[in-house]
Amino acid sequence: MIKRLLSATSIAVLCLASSASAAEKVEMWVRTGVGDAFKKTVEAYNSSHENQVAMTEVPFSELVQKYATSIAGGQAPDALSMDLIYNPAFAAAGQLEDLTDWAKSLPYFNSLSPSHVKLGTYQDRIYGLPLSVETSVFAWNKDLYKKAGLDPEKAPSSWDEITANAEKIRALGDDTYGFYFSGGGCGGCMIFTFTPLVWGSGADILSADGKTATLDTPQMRKAVDIYRTMVKKDLVPAGAASDNGANFLSFTNGKIGQQSLGAFAIGSLVTEHPEINFGVTLIPGATGGTSSFAGGDNFVITKGTPKIAAVKEFLEYIYSEDGQKIMAKYGSLPTRGDIADKVLDGLDPRLQVGIQAISVAKTPYTLQFNDLINSANGPWATFTSAAIFGDDEDGAFASAQGEMQSIIDSGQ
Amino acid sequence: MTPVKTTSAKQRRARIAARSNGAYHATGIAVSLFFLAPFVIAFLASFRHGAEAGLPPLPPWPTNGFSLDAYRLLDGFGAGIWQHMLNSLLVSLATVVLTVIVSLLAGYGFSRYRFPLKNMLFVLIIATLMIPFQSILTPLFIILAKLGLNNSLLGLTLVYVTLQLPFSVFMMRNAFDAVPKEIEEAARIDGARDLGLLVRVLLPLVLPGVATVAIFAFLNAWNEFLAALILLSSNEKYTLPVLMMAVRAGRLGAVNWGAVQAGVAVMTIPCLIVFLLLQRYYMRGLMAGAVK
Amino acid sequence: MTISGSNALLPRRRRSRRTGLRGLVYIAPAMALVVAFFVVPVIFTGWMSLHNWPLMGGTRWIGFKNYVRMFHDARFMSALQFTAYYTVIVTIAIFTVAFPLAIFVEKQRRFVGAYRTIIFLPVVVGLATASLLWVWLANVDSGFIGPALRALGWVDKSPNLLATFDSAFLTIIVMVVWKIAGFTMIILLTGLQAIPSELTEAARIDGAGRWQRFRYLTLPLMRKTIALALIISVTGSILAFDQFYIMTSGGPQNRMISVVYYIFNQSFVSFNLGYGAALSIALLAILVAISIVQLWLLRVREEKP
Repeated sequence: MIKRLLSATSIAVLCLASSASAAEKVEMWVRTGVGDAFKKTVEAYNSSHENQVAMTEVPFSELVQKYATSIAGGQAPDALSMDLIYNPAFAAAGQLEDLTDWAKSLPYFNSLSPSHVKLGTYQDRIYGLPLSVETSVFAWNKDLYKKAGLDPEKAPSSWDEITANAEKIRALGDDTYGFYFSGGGCGGCMIFTFTPLVWGSGADILSADGKTATLDTPQMRKAVDIYRTMVKKDLVPAGAASDNGANFLSFTNGKIGQQSLGAFAIGSLVTEHPEINFGVTLIPGATGGTSSFAGGDNFVITKGTPKIAAVKEFLEYIYSEDGQKIMAKYGSLPTRGDIADKVLDGLDPRLQVGIQAISVAKTPYTLQFNDLINSANGPWATFTSAAIFGDDEDGAFASAQGEMQSIIDSGQ
Repeated sequence: MTPVKTTSAKQRRARIAARSNGAYHATGIAVSLFFLAPFVIAFLASFRHGAEAGLPPLPPWPTNGFSLDAYRLLDGFGAGIWQHMLNSLLVSLATVVLTVIVSLLAGYGFSRYRFPLKNMLFVLIIATLMIPFQSILTPLFIILAKLGLNNSLLGLTLVYVTLQLPFSVFMMRNAFDAVPKEIEEAARIDGARDLGLLVRVLLPLVLPGVATVAIFAFLNAWNEFLAALILLSSNEKYTLPVLMMAVRAGRLGAVNWGAVQAGVAVMTIPCLIVFLLLQRYYMRGLMAGAVK
Repeated sequence: MTISGSNALLPRRRRSRRTGLRGLVYIAPAMALVVAFFVVPVIFTGWMSLHNWPLMGGTRWIGFKNYVRMFHDARFMSALQFTAYYTVIVTIAIFTVAFPLAIFVEKQRRFVGAYRTIIFLPVVVGLATASLLWVWLANVDSGFIGPALRALGWVDKSPNLLATFDSAFLTIIVMVVWKIAGFTMIILLTGLQAIPSELTEAARIDGAGRWQRFRYLTLPLMRKTIALALIISVTGSILAFDQFYIMTSGGPQNRMISVVYYIFNQSFVSFNLGYGAALSIALLAILVAISIVQLWLLRVREEKP
């Protein structure tokens, strides 16, 4: 089936290449690891439209610097799938096409994922629109629950429960572990899976205006304590301490009992690892409540590209029901709320949890996301690794709080 | 066998020699093991079945039959392994050819001619070694874009040639210095001039130096990843090391160690072959460089 | 100077000027490349270092403020410190391995060529590839070192070598020694072979022990070769980047940020191109200082007969 689709695509490409010279070829970059969802959408688009999209995968850790460098050299692609947290910084620098008027004319504009649009907005103008929605959720392995004598259908609702379950799963033996997280300086992974513990309990790591670092809160202390305890009790594989995000989905190996991961992973687990029998729920806060991180990618257009009409046509295709269905089928949540039910119809019911998470989810809005949070060598990544695995917890709090504040101040 | 007891001094000396010989080769084998083992383990492990890729290589060889799963998986990254290998080969060979031509001319110029600012220009070329080129990547990118050579293998090649020049020019100048002037004068009397003289008479004499320069250029161009990553921007132009970074970054949140092993094999085998075939020149060139 | 003297000089000078131009023609392609892809970028870097130069958006002239900032930048200072620490340790490690190896492969015996070749093999693979290979070998679950130690019964649980500073640092040192020792060995071998065997023979007849011969004969005669090997090793270590970037991403807890890594981060992660440029210029100054020492050492060598 896929082969046939592919050959149909290539024939279509050949025909187009020979006959229609008027067709535009849109250059677009995406980060590696977005998986098949976007690739399949591009294939479907190319085989049904005259304009063509050429997609280039760039290693995710290098995408932003590569895009920024290519802008400096005047050689940027026409469009980019950009991690939405970078959207404010690029918009503020005046490198992106202003999409406000066109976006507001879309009939379904008001049902596009609100946190994406918020991150895509800078000084009341819109520079980015949602491409893929990704929320963080808590997953547990039902088979391991059963083996450990736990009720496989009961979702844990507090971290005490999760820790207790982890201990029982760890007791199963050698290489079976109760919990996993990428703790080796992966700022992106930890903001995604770990801050919901703090948010759920009502605290935050930055003040509402984004001008003060508020790292050292009782809620954060509690959250760190939960993770530290699990590490100390040997419930987490040793590899977690040096995982820079490359093994973020260790859950897929079937030997991890519980892990917070992205809703996106639900799709790839279902398609790539049908052998894993798992449940998902919202991530509990450290002291009650639930929360999630609304992440994913925004679709941005490089300022001044001559192919803007073609890019918009492609984006409209993505927002069409067909486009949304293909994205969802390969694991990406629908970005249009109005047709979410229709799109998810017949797909895995667990994806609904990912949609529910949107309502409790948060996304920090800061122009310095990379320096503060995402950089493997930034204060947040260092903090999570040092506070959870290091010997000096207080020192980790103090130095991270200080460094975050100084980065914020230097950007004012 | 019956141990032959003997008191003859000659035989005792022979026995001591044999024992020290044995100790020598025992050490040699132990040392060789340390330097060979990482390669051997990775090569053998790369032929295990896909399902075994995440298991530790104990033992490293495939226990469930030979499989090319890891290589197939590697092929699934980017635009396919053959395309990237072709790119890498093109860039490396072009770097070799250009480096040899440019450094042959420059080495000859620096060795045989006097001209204003000669020493300063020579030091300038050597100085290229001193700057961490990571820090001039942005200006490099902008210059290549201005020349219309961005996202092109030619642009990347030119950067690689520049990075090779300090070593190569130094090497070639020394090689020409070692050629007696009389040979050149005799050839001049026979009517050889300029390029003809250089190519027909002198080139054969500095061939070991050329081989050294060529091998170094090949290895460095084949192995470089950061410039390739920043300066190239489309899938079908990426060289192998960029592909390797994508493999290292993992896919769908998991590093496939099988693809890493296969990638290491694909990256190292050409280097090892080039080295083993031409090692006589390589070693000689290195030593000549060290003595000079 | 006499008139006849200048007369005699005249034709020669004309010829030398002609050949001078021809010499310039020969080096022109090399110079063109060096100017286009080295001199201009470096000048451009210097120019950028005097600006607040974000990757995107407008640039602003700020004079030497970037250079002033450098001296108050605790992270830069700790990067310098780490780089110095790494350089010292790795250089000592390389020499302690490479020197005995050079002596080991010096004499013509059976298989010595094979040993030399094998020890040299890792030199020809790229540092990035070698780092990738060792990331796998050092991996706690799927690698070789930890699981092998466990299989031998030396440890109860496969250790995560890259999780703590000391073990990660040790792993990187072992990797670099594995990768580089062959190179240093060959350079030292050159020096060893240049020592006339009559000298060592004479010393032996005079009753000098093995250690005495090494200390008072070999070492002094090899001073220049050692200096060369040292300079190559030190320069390479100061510019170290790939191994930290690929093997530990600068971790654990950010404690393995070398100077080049910090420059890379400032330029391509934080996009402070101006500050990154200033740091590059500072690093260039450090390397020039080291190279002056190098030239001085080489000059000492040339004066000797």
